[in-house]
Amino acid sequence: MKILIVEDNLKLLESITEVLDAEGFRCETSANFRIADEKVFLYDYDILIVDINLPDGSGLDLIKEIKIHHPNTGIIVISARNSLDNKLEGLELGADDYITKPFDMAELVARVKALLRRRNFSGNNIVTFGDISLNTNTREVMAGNQQIDLTKSEFAILLFFFSNPKRVLTRESIAEHIWGDNMDLADSFDFIYSHIKNLRKKITAAGVEDPLKAVYGIGYKLDAN
Amino acid sequence: MKLIYRTYTLTAIWLLPVMIIGSIFCFYMIEYIAYEETDEFLTYEMERLVNYHKEFKHLPEYHKVADILPDVKYDHFYFKDTLLLEPGDNELVPYRELRFTIDHKGRDFSIVLRHLLLGRDDVAQGTLLIIIGLMLLVALFLVIMVNQITGQIWKPFYHTLDNLKKFKIGEALPVFQKTEIEEFGTLNATLQTLLKKITSDYHHNKEFNENASHELQTHLAIIRANTEKLLNRSTGEVEAMGELKKIYAASTRLSQVQKSLLLLSKITNKEYSNNQDVKLQEPLNLALDFFSEAINIREIELKKHLEPCMVNMDAGLAEILVNNLLKNAVKHNLQKGYIWVKLTASSLIIENSGLPFQGDPNSLLERFAKGENGNIGIGLAIVKQICELYNFSISYEVSEQDSHKITILFATT
Repeated sequence: MKILIVEDNLKLLESITEVLDAEGFRCETSANFRIADEKVFLYDYDILIVDINLPDGSGLDLIKEIKIHHPNTGIIVISARNSLDNKLEGLELGADDYITKPFDMAELVARVKALLRRRNFSGNNIVTFGDISLNTNTREVMAGNQQIDLTKSEFAILLFFFSNPKRVLTRESIAEHIWGDNMDLADSFDFIYSHIKNLRKKITAAGVEDPLKAVYGIGYKLDAN
Repeated sequence: MKLIYRTYTLTAIWLLPVMIIGSIFCFYMIEYIAYEETDEFLTYEMERLVNYHKEFKHLPEYHKVADILPDVKYDHFYFKDTLLLEPGDNELVPYRELRFTIDHKGRDFSIVLRHLLLGRDDVAQGTLLIIIGLMLLVALFLVIMVNQITGQIWKPFYHTLDNLKKFKIGEALPVFQKTEIEEFGTLNATLQTLLKKITSDYHHNKEFNENASHELQTHLAIIRANTEKLLNRSTGEVEAMGELKKIYAASTRLSQVQKSLLLLSKITNKEYSNNQDVKLQEPLNLALDFFSEAINIREIELKKHLEPCMVNMDAGLAEILVNNLLKNAVKHNLQKGYIWVKLTASSLIIENSGLPFQGDPNSLLERFAKGENGNIGIGLAIVKQICELYNFSISYEVSEQDSHKITILFATT
């Protein structure tokens, strides 16, 4: 899987590349519009991750360009605007997804994987970890050989973990993943804790060992024993 | 009142004194002319009789004069007004008399000439008719004139007004019509300068928001990415993890605050102006659906009564409005508490159980109001800002039973 990352801040570019590299993607980078434009013209990418604000041009033009040459490339827009503007812009551009700065790397990885699953029609909609598998199309969850019923949020959280195995997911990160801009809902009640507790209950009830490990005071991690 | 009607009224008022003075003037003028003419006629008659007497030495015949008074002498001829009874309709009628004396065979004979005068009531009647006729004509011409002149003179003004009405901040500046009238030229130039300034302020503000947001969020993203990296690399030292968590939580919080402030700033800058008729029950139902899991987890009893409600506003802001209100009701609720949502055509009321609150609850609508646990809230400040933008009235009440109630009354259009 080839990904082109266009972001003018080199430190952020480095962080993104590092994380996606570790996930096994082949990453190419560009810190400006000119080089990105060349690369888009010359090569074919599975996914383009692009920041709208570039020093020498607009990410929007890059999206128009890639829509002409490689309409099959999946596009994730990184934007510093708020979600209200993003919604409008994202729809107009034909971008597949947008993510608002600052974002967690876990969130970006989850978005990239989700986009690949959507783009890859012939591909696999089953995500598996240990004895548990999720079908992202039918939203069915199998624990061992038993099907378990999850609520919308529980499914979203589990899929988020499955997209980031062995990575610490902070409570904030999980809250932002399921609630977006409403993540501050988690401030007063431990909603995340309740969701995780319910998830664990349902998984262990199916006779499968709970793969969600608490990382003290910070969050949780999907890990096999 | 429209400019043209105002002009009509004022012109009409000014016509009144013209009418009164004109009537008086006209009355005396007619009377004066009538006297002049009568006196002139009587004088000619006198001269004719005097000449006749010189030539033929006869007194004038009786039927040609009104009266002949023997042995009466006037030093000089004179005019006199008199009233005589008209036997026909038994009425006193005004006459003008000229009396003069001629010497006939050594005797003085005073001759009286008389001529019918115009009665004052006749003059007044005539005056009235003339004035009324004249005024009608003047009024007719004034209406046509004012209409024509106003239309011509004020045309550039109405053009400017039209342009201003259509103008929306952030769009291209309107082009005003060139005019030869100095005042309108000044008006247009002043407006142009003002609009230019407003537009440039708007764009500066917008640009500043965007730049500040981009730079801040990018660096916050770096902080978060690296903290995340360290969290994952950590060997489990509790102390180091604690410090990392603080950095992470603070950067998350900072980015949320910044996003909210940016949104507030954009609302104030009127950057969301895509107004349309929004059926408020739709975003409200979506938001209720969105928060339903959270409501279930807290075992909160939800009662709702939604009537159709149409509000003209930006659809995105409508979503944020109901979303922030419901989020607030869920977030500051109690385990096994309740939420009542009531939407009518003209109001939205959200009531929920919560912690006791002392002080003015409306202060909770202010920016950075301190809630329990030192939580700082911008969500309700955003709600308030949206309400202000659309002239909705909003109030926050806390009852003795610790029920928190937010009421929004939509502006009736």
